[in-house]
Amino acid sequence: MFRWLNGPGNVFRQPLPGSTNYLNAYDRSGNLLRARDSPKGRNSEGEAEEKDEDKEKDVDEGETNDLEVNVETATVKSKKAQRPSPKAMMDGVPLPKETAEDLMPFPMNRQFRSQAVLSEELKNAIYERVVVQGKSVRNVSAALGVEMRRVGAVVRLKAVEKGWETKGKPLATPYSKAVLSMLPQTPYIPNDPQVHESINDLPVHRATTLQLFHPVSESRHFTRRDAGQAFQRDLKPAEDRIPHTELYQMEKWRYEGMQRDERIQRMREQNEKDIQAKKEKEERRREKEKMEVTRVDHGRSVFRFQDVRVDERVGEDGRGRAGVGARYGIPHQDRKKGQIKIPTKVE
Amino acid sequence: MRKRFHGLKRLKLRQSWNKYNLYNISRAEPPRSQERTFFQQKWTAKALTRAYHGETIREKQWTRMFRRTIKSVVPMDPKYLAEQDGSEQAAGRGSGVDPPPDQKPKMFPKTPYLNMTYAPTERRLDTAIFRALFASSTRQARQFVVHGYVKVNGKQMVYPGYQLNPGDMFQVEPDRVLFATGARKDKAERAAGRRLRAFKVSKKAAANESESDSEPAEPQTPKSEPPPEPTSLNKNPKKDLQSLLSQAKSILSTPSSYLTAHRKQDLRAFQRTVKRTLSRPDALTTTSLDNQLAEITSKMTTQTSSTPSPSSTTPSDIPTLSSPELQAEAATLSPSQLDTLRSALREARENPIDASKPYATPWRPREWMSAFAFVPRYLEVHHKICSAVYIRHPVARPGLAEVPTPYSSELNALAHNWYLRRR
Repeated sequence: MFRWLNGPGNVFRQPLPGSTNYLNAYDRSGNLLRARDSPKGRNSEGEAEEKDEDKEKDVDEGETNDLEVNVETATVKSKKAQRPSPKAMMDGVPLPKETAEDLMPFPMNRQFRSQAVLSEELKNAIYERVVVQGKSVRNVSAALGVEMRRVGAVVRLKAVEKGWETKGKPLATPYSKAVLSMLPQTPYIPNDPQVHESINDLPVHRATTLQLFHPVSESRHFTRRDAGQAFQRDLKPAEDRIPHTELYQMEKWRYEGMQRDERIQRMREQNEKDIQAKKEKEERRREKEKMEVTRVDHGRSVFRFQDVRVDERVGEDGRGRAGVGARYGIPHQDRKKGQIKIPTKVE
Repeated sequence: MRKRFHGLKRLKLRQSWNKYNLYNISRAEPPRSQERTFFQQKWTAKALTRAYHGETIREKQWTRMFRRTIKSVVPMDPKYLAEQDGSEQAAGRGSGVDPPPDQKPKMFPKTPYLNMTYAPTERRLDTAIFRALFASSTRQARQFVVHGYVKVNGKQMVYPGYQLNPGDMFQVEPDRVLFATGARKDKAERAAGRRLRAFKVSKKAAANESESDSEPAEPQTPKSEPPPEPTSLNKNPKKDLQSLLSQAKSILSTPSSYLTAHRKQDLRAFQRTVKRTLSRPDALTTTSLDNQLAEITSKMTTQTSSTPSPSSTTPSDIPTLSSPELQAEAATLSPSQLDTLRSALREARENPIDASKPYATPWRPREWMSAFAFVPRYLEVHHKICSAVYIRHPVARPGLAEVPTPYSSELNALAHNWYLRRR
């Protein structure tokens, strides 16, 4: 093991400056594949290094099995070999960008890749657009190619960071810098936003996972909507189930030949209407909750008291699980041995 | 900890950044399947995968958590959806028109569903902390949770098995994260930390004594003991300070004719503090240094904000300014050394030397970390505040599974098959 750690594995001891450093990016003898494959990387330095490493291997193999001696000599050598290699590569010849192969941390699993994270600038841009400029999450998501839930999360986390700054709580900046330099990142280019992830992911509906034989007449124009209904009566087609339905709508209008200004105008009107409706709904829900639920805050947890009619909740047979309180013939399970009492949600 | 957690003979891959584990991952090979019954293959697959995924979860718990349904998504193109109504996929003999014989049919990457077998374990709080790179192993993450260093949505959560819901934010105490991911102290640093602690204890004891005597202890307490003198300190900060000092000197020397007297005084005072701190390394609190730096930088910034107004009136920036003083300021600001000085000092302030911390200071990442550093997409991590949001459950998509597993699809499929038998 120590032969590997001090030999080919030594490249993983310290991060590769300005790049990711995963197992799959190297060959068995610890050479960076993309540095070797690229024509630029084949300079005299690289060859010299390779020769050095070859020598090392020979020496390693020739050595006795005395572990400690092996380790000591190997560390000294490895320090010599390791120090110049990344710097020389970075300074002399810039490394080519990682391929999908280089981003696999587990060599056996080809279906897992280390995917890019948001860079600090992109996070700042998201926060600014949402909070300072007051744009909707939906717009920002579509403009920057970041999922809506992620946009929301970034805004929330950024707000916490600002709170810490105002409070004077120390941030873990060196840690953040070090970690981000080890990860692939999506940069923020103001005029040319890079797509971070696919924002229109259609979740696979469970009803559609089974194969279905559905004979229809040959003359029938069988569309996506029909296919959905064949699987389940009320299953909506993909265009209604994707997160950014408005992008579909815009494309649809464009396809139908509507002018750009008109499209934008109509979309704006529709957005306003949607936002208004949502606000009203939320207001109603909040008022209803206020009427029904009494909250008692205890710091670590918040108790919520709500009036409940048991017979509404227990169902027809009186054994429904939503029913509360002591009911004759329905034993409580929560005091039994082995019942897990981990909270299921924190609000 | 069980015996041979990172065994070298019988390979068990673990959720940890240990170098033994890295070595094991680098040489692990799929188990042989020839001449083995299906049951044996499944058994091995289950044993191997379970050693990685939630080895702290008991088998009965896991079988209860296991779900045969797997979440997946398909990325959609709104343009395609707008232009086609889907009927083209039902054309021909019911599955789309065949492409002409000289063209190959378009290949669509398969969705690796069975790599998602252990998706339910990724919902656990301890696993999520490990995946967010806040701990060096799931076991350490678990310890952080149990010891009360973790909050979920601002409330302390002490159950490592808490199942995160989409939208939950979890925070780990930054000091713990720095400890978990930072390099270890060397012998001298540990000794310095011990001395510091001993000094604090003795000081406290002295204070207590004086209180018990009920005497005005003002002259006694400060004299009670001399401050500890750590003989050996990390040499890097010293070097840093030296470089800073030389930079300050160069700033002073280069545009000397233009410098205002006040500015010169500032910089000289700064130089003096740097010298003092260099001569007495135990006093590296950097607070006084910080204050001075803050003053100087604030002056710089105010001057930079004031300089553009006259310069905007004239096309050329530096040479023709309203007053010789402003011109001097511009001249002093122009060298890039000032910027480097500022950034270097900022870094020194962000990453100070502190013997009381349980990790090597100034903080640097621990060895072997980079090979394990990845953040899956179902988490949005903000490393600066050691917080992350679990935005959704992990999903499979064409060609990609989001559950980080070191094993291949085949092995995961066998494990999935093993757990299917209960339900």
